[in-house]
Amino acid sequence: MALNNTSSQQSLDAWHDALTSLQILQLDPHGLGGVCLRAPHGPVRERWLSALASLGLPLVKVPGSADAERLLGGIDLAQTLQTGQLRMQAGLLQQADQGLVCLPMAERLPPALLAPLVQALDTGQVAATQHASSPTVTRFGVVALDESLPDEPSVNAALQDRIGLWLDLQALSPSDIDAGLDDSEDDALQIRLSPGALSRARAQLKQVQASDAQVHALCASALGLGIGSLRAPSLALRVACAHAALNGRSTLDDEDLGFAARCVLAPRATQWPAEPSEEQTAEPPPDDTEPPDPPPTQEPPDNTPSKPPLGDTPEESPPDTSNEELTAEDLQEMMVAAALASLPAHMLDALATQKGAKTSNTSGRSGQTRAGQQRGRPLPPRPGRPGGHARLHVLATLRAAAPRQRLRQAEPLAAADTSAASPRKRVAIRAEDFHIQRYQQRSSSCLILALDASGSAALQRLAEAKGAVELLLQQSYSRRDSVCIVAFRGAQAQLLLPATRSLVRAKRAMTGLPGGGGTPLALALKMAHEQAALLQRQGVTPLLVVLSDGRANVTLQGLGGRAQAQADAQNWGQQWCSSGHRALWIDTSVQPDAQAKQLAATMGAHYLPMPQVQAQRMAYAMDKLRTVPA
Amino acid sequence: MALTFPFAAIVGQDEMTLAIQVVAVDPSIGGVLVLGDRGTGKSTAVRALADLLPPIQVVKGCPYRCDPAKPADACPVCQAQDPKSKVVSERKSVAVVDLPLGATEDRVVGALDLEKALSQGIKQFSPGLLAQAHRGFLYIDEVNLLDDHLVDLLIDVAASGENLVEREGLSVRHPARFVLVGSGNPEEGELRPQLLDRFGLSVQVRTPQDLKLRVDIIKRRDAFEKDPAGFKALWHKDNQKLQKRIVKARDRLAEVTVSDGMLMLCARLCQQLGTDGLRAELTLLRATRAFAALQGQLSVQAEHLQSMAPLALRHRLRRNPLDDTDSGARVQRSLQEVLAA
Repeated sequence: MALNNTSSQQSLDAWHDALTSLQILQLDPHGLGGVCLRAPHGPVRERWLSALASLGLPLVKVPGSADAERLLGGIDLAQTLQTGQLRMQAGLLQQADQGLVCLPMAERLPPALLAPLVQALDTGQVAATQHASSPTVTRFGVVALDESLPDEPSVNAALQDRIGLWLDLQALSPSDIDAGLDDSEDDALQIRLSPGALSRARAQLKQVQASDAQVHALCASALGLGIGSLRAPSLALRVACAHAALNGRSTLDDEDLGFAARCVLAPRATQWPAEPSEEQTAEPPPDDTEPPDPPPTQEPPDNTPSKPPLGDTPEESPPDTSNEELTAEDLQEMMVAAALASLPAHMLDALATQKGAKTSNTSGRSGQTRAGQQRGRPLPPRPGRPGGHARLHVLATLRAAAPRQRLRQAEPLAAADTSAASPRKRVAIRAEDFHIQRYQQRSSSCLILALDASGSAALQRLAEAKGAVELLLQQSYSRRDSVCIVAFRGAQAQLLLPATRSLVRAKRAMTGLPGGGGTPLALALKMAHEQAALLQRQGVTPLLVVLSDGRANVTLQGLGGRAQAQADAQNWGQQWCSSGHRALWIDTSVQPDAQAKQLAATMGAHYLPMPQVQAQRMAYAMDKLRTVPA
Repeated sequence: MALTFPFAAIVGQDEMTLAIQVVAVDPSIGGVLVLGDRGTGKSTAVRALADLLPPIQVVKGCPYRCDPAKPADACPVCQAQDPKSKVVSERKSVAVVDLPLGATEDRVVGALDLEKALSQGIKQFSPGLLAQAHRGFLYIDEVNLLDDHLVDLLIDVAASGENLVEREGLSVRHPARFVLVGSGNPEEGELRPQLLDRFGLSVQVRTPQDLKLRVDIIKRRDAFEKDPAGFKALWHKDNQKLQKRIVKARDRLAEVTVSDGMLMLCARLCQQLGTDGLRAELTLLRATRAFAALQGQLSVQAEHLQSMAPLALRHRLRRNPLDDTDSGARVQRSLQEVLAA
């Protein structure tokens, strides 16, 4: 089973780490926070999940459609209605005590579920509710299954930060696993520890000690990889301890630290650890300078499948038992190397965009934008007949019925809506009690700004445009709308700012924007179009504002050529028009000519010449665009 | 009951711990807003707050934790009691109530008590989180992501100190005086100015970049996770010490004097920074007084002003979107000018 291909070797390592993670989870299901598994639905994930199910840990699945009451426990409505007495039920989180909570499609989880989940994870208890006066203790780990595509928002950052092990099996194909495991098929079956082994390992876990140098190295590695959160090194330490206990050691070993570096630290890396003294908010490397690939070839081809090989650890240093002799620097170097070896190529590139997308995350829930009574912010329920699109609001119905119970119990059941089978102890609900659910559709919108930063758009005007955007952002808070900026110059269009509401980020993105170069209008329109599609999928209405003189001179391929560039721009303008979203073209040239006007007409955009850009006026025009009904 | 990390064991983040202690001394300052990155100990510090606070006297059995010494602002339950009967009181620890992001309005303001309604057909109010937080602290993690309708609700209650419920045929008015404590990451969204104004002090926390400090934090955290009870016992003495310091400072608070010169300084500073309204001056005055009391001094000095001015004023400045400098630095600069003048 010689695996020459380093990439499949790397993915096999990832699979081994995934299996080892399962074993570690058995030792300490809640202390490590759990696992965040990034993988598409498929045989690989199925295999991992079936191994997870075979662990024998309590595993509670929380679908995104569960409500907060089900999650935290509350009234069992079916029982309550049937018996006429208040019946409570335990929430899913309480049921998961000492076990795991599995979140399928974790990236789409609504904040109403996320917030209490994170709170329970933090405090180790479910807070007292109206019906349970004292909090109930529950300790659980989270298995978050993340199916998001690279350009989509990933799992909520608050939750992800608390989860220890991050696994990425996206690149893994089932054949890789089979190729790696052909001679030790039963290895996968031994994931579940026997009760004896489990209790031994758990006892061992309490004994595991980390030396000062090792803790120091962990912290330094985290800092070097640009991980600001202190939860990361803390969780990494716990993972390393659990890994040591799993292998029957009472001190931490290079292998333990390497595992923690690969599974906890590496996936969170935000910077290349060359200059560790940088600020943690250091800019990720710009797109064109690709980070040097870690040379993965130095890996010694010793794939003993039961124990994951250690990346490119300096194997020459003999694994001496007294780790105290190794200095913290050596350890740190080793761990950073291990972390880097496990990073897939271009990962930092991806990180740069992913980070932005993450913040626009939360409410998830895509689908139709306007669905009437189906979604949106709930309004107080009102009396009405359920049926059609209107759903019964059970609680409100009960509330309406509650005060009249005595009266109704006393009167004979003449025209009974309730079944007359046993009038005793039943809640008498009449038709007039029915309440239906109502939602307010808040059609939130996102303004996509295509900002011409080319040489023809003078620098002065660029500064004015920046001012206008900031004015807009300030206004947009109260509307809860967001802004997304696409800047174009030279040979490329750049997503300067993914959809955000944050002034801080917008400011930072805008101040760094240089001017000069050609006008790749087609590229900008294409990117705006893609962003619009993405936003639409998230249930946000996109609006486009182009700030340009319309003199395209760079083609879709990033080459010069005025005629082709114009044609390309026209093409994508047509695309926008067919998407049916609104647009506004602000012509920033000193002498407005027909070119921009024509392009605007193609796009179906409003055209507004503005030879002297005024931030106030511009902001007003954009604001009008979004308030005018379609 | 799950154990919380002891406050005394928190390493670093001096500004945040100081702000929390100052607010514990004088809750009328109006709460703390902690802004910063994830994993910097924001929620740990706030949840540990309960450690610092001495127990309070409450009317026994009262769901709103009424103060037996102040029958005037009693809740509906206590008002319904026969005034001649003797009030029985008990000691209870101060509540630090978590308000989760996704909380429903029902849960926050309170709603019809379903249990009573269903089983006995009685219309009764069941208090919500606002009632639980009365005379204590209300903690909102990720306050900048809070739903608008909850923000509106909080702004109103935090200003008036009472919760008025008019829904589902209920009409209840009960006291809800609490200290707002919020935390969040400013990168994820801005806070509405109205809500910002309700916070007395604001703190910016950053990820500690000092390696030694980080190692210390990880070690303590690890020790706590391994043996929460043992770790807590280890720090019990230090926590008690802190608590005593706060109790002493509270006693001293009334005696702390502020000279007219100091008041002048405060006013000039706020004027120079162009803060809206007089709330800035008032908060600054209270904060410096509480800080002086905490330091064991009986008059407010310039150094107290120096430490408290950034905390009390930072979030009240008019922001120029093109100016990237930290508001705290601006406050410091103005303060130097005012002090020099």
